[in-house]
Amino acid sequence: MWSRRDHRRLTKTDIRRQTNVMHISEGILSGPVLASGMVLAAAGTAIGLKKLDYDRMARAGMLSAAFFVASLIHVPIFPSNVHLILNGIVGLLLGWGAFPAILVALILQAVFFQYGGITTLGVNTLIMALPAVISYGLFGRLIHKRPTIASTAAFACGSLAVLLGALMIGLALMFTEENFWHVSAIVVAAHIPVMIVEGIVTAICVAFLKKVQPTMLPGSARPQTL
Amino acid sequence: MINEPFAAGNSLIHNLDPRIRVGLASVYCFVIALAKHTPVLLAAIVISLSLIFITRVNPREIARRLVIVNVLIFLLWAVLPLTYGDPALFRAGPFSISGPGTKLAAQITLKCNAILLAFIALIATMPLVTLGHALNRLRVPAKIVLLLLMTYRYVFVIEQEYHRLLRAARIRGFRPGTNLHTYKTYAYVVGMLFVRAAARAERVNQAMRCRGFNGKFYTLQQFETVRHDWILATIITAMIICLLFLEWSHRA
Amino acid sequence: MNANQPLICLKQISFSYPEAPPVINQLDLDFYRGDRIGLMAPNGSGKTTLFHLIMGLLKPISGQMEIFGKPVKEEKDFFEVRRRIGLLFQDADDQLFSPTVLEDVAFGPLNLGKSKTEAIEISRKTLEFLGLAGFENRITFKLSGGEKKLVSLATVLAMEPEILLLDEPINGLDRKTSGKLIDVLKNLDLSYMIISHDIDFLDATTHAIYTMANGKILVDQQMQVHQHVHAHPHGTYPHAHET
Repeated sequence: MWSRRDHRRLTKTDIRRQTNVMHISEGILSGPVLASGMVLAAAGTAIGLKKLDYDRMARAGMLSAAFFVASLIHVPIFPSNVHLILNGIVGLLLGWGAFPAILVALILQAVFFQYGGITTLGVNTLIMALPAVISYGLFGRLIHKRPTIASTAAFACGSLAVLLGALMIGLALMFTEENFWHVSAIVVAAHIPVMIVEGIVTAICVAFLKKVQPTMLPGSARPQTL
Repeated sequence: MINEPFAAGNSLIHNLDPRIRVGLASVYCFVIALAKHTPVLLAAIVISLSLIFITRVNPREIARRLVIVNVLIFLLWAVLPLTYGDPALFRAGPFSISGPGTKLAAQITLKCNAILLAFIALIATMPLVTLGHALNRLRVPAKIVLLLLMTYRYVFVIEQEYHRLLRAARIRGFRPGTNLHTYKTYAYVVGMLFVRAAARAERVNQAMRCRGFNGKFYTLQQFETVRHDWILATIITAMIICLLFLEWSHRA
Repeated sequence: MNANQPLICLKQISFSYPEAPPVINQLDLDFYRGDRIGLMAPNGSGKTTLFHLIMGLLKPISGQMEIFGKPVKEEKDFFEVRRRIGLLFQDADDQLFSPTVLEDVAFGPLNLGKSKTEAIEISRKTLEFLGLAGFENRITFKLSGGEKKLVSLATVLAMEPEILLLDEPINGLDRKTSGKLIDVLKNLDLSYMIISHDIDFLDATTHAIYTMANGKILVDQQMQVHQHVHAHPHGTYPHAHET
């Protein structure tokens, strides 16, 4: 256990680390963009919830908690550091369940760190979860092929999920205001190092899961329980 | 450790019925987000600051959070005035500062901070558990509320696991740097977190089944709306209507 | 069912995890009303698996199970079993999944069809019985290890079971808390089975201590609990005496 002072220090670092996550702040986007984001996120969440029978609720909640904690990890990339986003892995582990899991994690982020809020909840869920589901659809099956194919697929899964998310941020900004072009370009460019790191981490992480607990990944038999 | 620094307190707003707070916060945040006129935004900042003032939460905590969120706003200030185009506010050689660009950056800054302050005052001042119960009462699907409460419950358990894993790596000399070894270590930590989370989920699911869980989810907290709730809610609603009126009068 | 019939009767039960040798191998067990049994065996000998088989969380590969006089096989057969047998999990964090204490304790009664008022009433009484009055609105993850363990016991007792299965209940608890647990168990009018590595605890709470080996319960080789006073490095742990 840590002392009180440790707690305080950890809180501070955790919050400082919360900058730079793939999302759009409050007050930037236009009404139509916010509304479309909400409608699409609600649809995705509805599909995700439909697929989550009550036997899988605990699993989705737990993975959502793990996703929340893991996204506090910042990894160095010279000369700065970036956050893990991990929406690619969440997609692999949960499929459409990524929508409710990410929505819930974002609510927690908003309440704990005030990072994002009510009006952008839909857009931000969509930015993370739609790429997760797309990567799952594209690469979910390939990760069980030969090691070279599998690790390439896992790398692509991790980096594509970030790329798509960054592009969606760009699009959301452009739909709001054409003059946001430069800002959009900077945001997408800023995500390129993140894409590389996410690709590497996802590839290694998937290899780890295949070795340690292959039943967690899509396309393998569910663990033996009633 | 993740904590909720604003949740504890005994102000008028802390005691306001959580359902009313969630409802008002949603409406108010959208009104600000959709407003287009600077006077409206200035008024909104004043209202949000008064709400914060009523809650009597620690101003230093608030300031810290404002700084973090405004990091993204700085990017807009760095880009928009230079790229937005004419008419220029002033020129200096090849550089010109765009009038509309500066105005937009200023408006976004006001909006973002007004929304953030309102969110802290109305939502972050309740424990997450209460928020979950309020959402349940406001007819948010039970599955989402259950998922939210379970995620909240286990974030702390998993965070401790994360620190244990990281400490174990550190005492064996792990120093993060820009190299494959670092990424591999973090990937293993992340993988291990997911493996342990899934194993724990299996055990939690078993424990829930042992206690007869059949998909139904109950919350026990009762909310009561007392007279001072209605008074405060009416005042805040009146302010929101004033904002709407201000916005409409500028548009006309 | 008559009084002489066992509450739990396992015949020739076998179980193995995928790609592993059997953990439970043709195990027989008769558990009667009033029995208070301790199970003490090395890690990995299948004690927890046995409990999970009884609760229907795992399915045996072969053998028959009769619980409360009825054969149980399908998931729906176990609904009744889970109502009347309470399992205390090894890790309290697995058992307490609700954010607040009261909600967690009331979860079981609510699932059994009790009204909210009844469920709250039962929960309060159970908490009070365990000396946890005033804990209702505490946040579960902020409880100490001992408090967590007692609250998980409350969640099980609130369902008013007839049998308790306790999986390493005093693991990681200090003397004071385990002493409290001993008092609680002695005051309960319940039959139970306890897995533990602590012989003093089992001695204080059970009538007989069995061990497990090769996937079976060794009933005929009841461990003899003995008291002696002498100093050596084994302390209070079970140990062989060379004679």
